[in-house]
Amino acid sequence: MKRTLLALLLLLTAFVLLPSPIGAGGAARAEDLVSGISQDIIQITSNYTGTNIVVFGAVEREPNTQSRDIVVVVRGPDEPMTVRRRDRIAGVWVNHDAARFEGLPAYYYLASTQPIARIAPREALDRYGIGLQSLRPTVIGSHHDPEPFRQAAIRYHQRVGLYAASPGSIDFLSETLFRTRVPVPAGVMRGQYNVEVYLFRDGQVVSAQSTPLFVDATGLERRLYNMAHDAPLSYGLACVFMAMLLGWISSVLFRRPA
Amino acid sequence: MEIYLPVAEMSVNWLLVVALGTLVGFLSGMFGVGGGFLMTPLLVFTGIPSTVAVATTLSHVTASSMSGALAQWRKRAIDFTMAGVMLAGGVVGTLFGVWLFALMRRQGQMDLIVSLSYVVMLGSIGIIMLRESLTTLQAARSGVSVSRRLVNRGWIQALPFKMRFRQSRLYISVIPPIAIGFAVGALSAIMGIGGGFIIVPAMIYILRMPTNVVMGTSLTQIIAVTAITTVLQATSNYAVDIVLAGLLVAGGVVGAQLGVRAGARLRGEQLRLLLALRVLAVGAGLAWQLVAHPADVYSLSEGAP
Repeated sequence: MKRTLLALLLLLTAFVLLPSPIGAGGAARAEDLVSGISQDIIQITSNYTGTNIVVFGAVEREPNTQSRDIVVVVRGPDEPMTVRRRDRIAGVWVNHDAARFEGLPAYYYLASTQPIARIAPREALDRYGIGLQSLRPTVIGSHHDPEPFRQAAIRYHQRVGLYAASPGSIDFLSETLFRTRVPVPAGVMRGQYNVEVYLFRDGQVVSAQSTPLFVDATGLERRLYNMAHDAPLSYGLACVFMAMLLGWISSVLFRRPA
Repeated sequence: MEIYLPVAEMSVNWLLVVALGTLVGFLSGMFGVGGGFLMTPLLVFTGIPSTVAVATTLSHVTASSMSGALAQWRKRAIDFTMAGVMLAGGVVGTLFGVWLFALMRRQGQMDLIVSLSYVVMLGSIGIIMLRESLTTLQAARSGVSVSRRLVNRGWIQALPFKMRFRQSRLYISVIPPIAIGFAVGALSAIMGIGGGFIIVPAMIYILRMPTNVVMGTSLTQIIAVTAITTVLQATSNYAVDIVLAGLLVAGGVVGAQLGVRAGARLRGEQLRLLLALRVLAVGAGLAWQLVAHPADVYSLSEGAP
């Protein structure tokens, strides 16, 4: 918490000292948005059970604007997925139709100042991939309507807590400072994530900023993961050896005096 | 209490996993089966991806079987000749299973085929065992001794390539043991099981091996098959999680020792009756899953099909 506040303070100072806008807004009028994250790398250790990161930032005060909204999107690495539908054939549920998707993220979290439908029209949200309904993966190998399959993929990720949207979870600490807490659950994949912060005014994105976030394992966990992939034969043999050794040890320990 | 699994890429409660290992290990030591067919569904139930569950359960089976087999070996209750002959079929079966695994995964029908074959197999084995053990128990109660040695082995006796299995006091063809070994090897690769629940009834009812060598011999065969399959799974699917394996094994070996002792106090017929009921229960559960309306008709698998 202390670190976050300190970072906020530093950010504010930088913001005041440097008049040039850092935000990469697509709009003609430069709207200023600066944002940061409490940590840019999440280390997965043996007792990792999920964590939170804090996304914070500041927007320039505009006295005569009607609406001002912030949307924070955290996206995990894209992963190819196959969704199958079961149908009842002769009383038994059988996988029948399938659809393959590419470009669906393994993790997706959205925080916003209010429900996104009230922030901007559909098209604007779709353009930036904001909101679960704007996740439009490439459909590969499906000869029927892929929409229910896409919905099922989203539903699955919501169920396991990897996709979530939390409107109204961005706090404004002052007129210009905002902050939100992003949960990173235990089941996240390793890889590069992106934290995107959007500033909306009157239903249009006027400024946006993207910051990479890395999720990686450290120490023993990393070494084991690397070994499993780089030296699978020795890894497999090590597993078998360990199993046999433990089996033998227990058998010696439990040996009854005959 | 949480521990991170590097290959499964998730955290689990390690106490729960050790407890699962102990429970399944206990049953394994008691019945002389590996317990993989119980462990895999239990792990999937705790949220571990099924590929990792299938591949990692094998290590648990190896360890439980090792522990159990050593206990049997001290009692000189292992027929190594029989185990060796069955393993010859087992190696070929494992390779065939890995190939079939990939083929079924591409078709998206793996779950169905696995469940269907489980239901058919468990159902028929369970009923045969239940009937036989009930008959024997009844006969024992009424004071009539039934000698299984006299039962006609029929077609098995007619097969060529006969060999003497001294420990089992059998003189039979090598074809049935090799065929059983092959089937079990294939199932081990597909389902992450040692196959004890098939080997044990097959040894008793098809090969007519004496019950006292069945446990040790099947465990020896299971150790070899699961060891080979673990290495194949590690090299082809990268799905073996050594941390998860360690936790399961630690619980499993203790459970297996306790199970062997509990098993020694039960009589052969009672043991077989219990095993029959257990086999039938798992089969009925799987059959129900096939016909019951799924919670979500859609299912998702990561990666390319």
